[in-house]
Amino acid sequence: MGFDIKRFQGDVDEELICPICSGVLEDPLQAPACEHAFCRACITEWISRQPTCPVDRQAVTSSQLRPVPRILRNLLSRLCTSCDNAPHGCNAVLKLDSLASHLVECEYNPKRLMPCEAGCGLVIPKDELAEHNCVRELRALIATQQGKLTDYQQELTEQRLIINEHKRELALLKEFMRAMRVSNPTMRALADQMEREEVVRWANSLSRARVTRWGGMISTPDDVLQMMIKRSLSESGCPPHIIDDLMENCHERRWPPGLSSLETRQNNRRLYEKYVCKRVPGKQAVLVLQCDNTHVDEHMMVEPGLVMIFAHGIE
Amino acid sequence: MANIAAKRIKREFKEVMKSEEVAGGAIKLELVNDSWTELKGQIAGPPDTPYEGGTFLLEIKVPETYPFNPPKIRFMTKIWHPNVSSVTGAICLDILKDQWAAALTLRTVLLSIQALLSAAEPNDPQDAVVAKQYRESPQLFNLTAKHWTNVYAGGPSSIFDFNQKVQLLIDMGIDEHQARVALSTYDWELERATEQLFS
Ligand SMILES: [Zn+2]
Ligand SMILES: [Zn+2]
Ligand SMILES: [Zn+2]
Ligand SMILES: [Zn+2]
Repeated sequence: MGFDIKRFQGDVDEELICPICSGVLEDPLQAPACEHAFCRACITEWISRQPTCPVDRQAVTSSQLRPVPRILRNLLSRLCTSCDNAPHGCNAVLKLDSLASHLVECEYNPKRLMPCEAGCGLVIPKDELAEHNCVRELRALIATQQGKLTDYQQELTEQRLIINEHKRELALLKEFMRAMRVSNPTMRALADQMEREEVVRWANSLSRARVTRWGGMISTPDDVLQMMIKRSLSESGCPPHIIDDLMENCHERRWPPGLSSLETRQNNRRLYEKYVCKRVPGKQAVLVLQCDNTHVDEHMMVEPGLVMIFAHGIE
Repeated sequence: MANIAAKRIKREFKEVMKSEEVAGGAIKLELVNDSWTELKGQIAGPPDTPYEGGTFLLEIKVPETYPFNPPKIRFMTKIWHPNVSSVTGAICLDILKDQWAAALTLRTVLLSIQALLSAAEPNDPQDAVVAKQYRESPQLFNLTAKHWTNVYAGGPSSIFDFNQKVQLLIDMGIDEHQARVALSTYDWELERATEQLFS
């Protein structure tokens, strides 16, 4: 609804008055044919009751409403008005188009957020500051937090139960699978095939990586580093049946003959460029998977692939 | 009352007060309470109509949802007119119903009601009895309306014949207004009116 006309200095042109609320047009829209203008809120409310122009009753729907011409907007923006907080002591006189930005920072705004100076650290509307009691507010805060905590604890207990149930079911399934594999050769072949396909699918889902500084390779990563890489692999969807093998292969003691010592690595340096490397998301490390690297010499590769961790130089 | 309604009514009240119609005595408006929800309007009977010289009071109630809904207006002064109930004063006027538009004001509404007194709409009646007389015996309708204007609205034309018939029924112990309604309804035929009153 429009601005109270009493807030404006001097006379306001009749053209700038909303015929519905009789205030000065706020965020105006106009009817398409007759060009009668109204506040957005006013005309929306009217059309929801009756799809006509409130002045001449021509049919109008809300989708036909248009912004008013620039000239009208300019006239409006130049009107001088007092601040909304004039009753609270603000004496500012503003152009209508700068009212909104003034209101945000007007220090007379009774709802302006102020930090409590007494030390509780809460931010409160100015007009509630006088009534504010740090202890009472903090106690209320503690009570709500306590409530949330209780809820979370309860949820946690329930989730734990569910997880345990899933674990039992999973163990049973695994056991069943193992039994099937052992007793039935066709099953065994099928399971192997599925596992291989899973690895290929995962490999295809990873993006290619380029190693710019092979010299940055860390051949003996520590446990912390290994844990980080493992977690990233797991999150990227690494099939569980190869993840431990893969992680074993991040240390030079498990690397193939062509990589196993500083000396062999020096000698085979030019072969590195043949590796198809995949990105370990978010880490300075690459995966050199067997399934991606069937073209590489046997002495440069192991099953199911290599994890190479670098200090830097991965793109 | 909703902010928007109070603001509008205040502004419209001023508009009426400044209008030439108020200056000329054609319409009047006054507040009934401080909350701007109820007002009393007054319109002068238009010239060259049976209502000429009469003053008609209107009850105006402003709904919470004004101006999205029309004001509720009825005649407080009894009037004989096809579009006004002779019993309740309810008005049948399109702009007070489905043809209401938010840009209409108390001034335009009062003027529209005044215009209705000049040009009745017998095809859209509020009072079927009056409308029937308006169509079938226009002359009698005119006299009846004049008589009501004289009795209830301070109009100048006293109609001797009608007054006499009303007095006759009063002498028989009938309430004055009841007597007038019965006589007006039966085209001032004393016998039929009496018959209806005592049946
Ligand atoms: Zn229009
Ligand atoms: Zn408006
Ligand atoms: Zn201010
Ligand atoms: Zn505090």
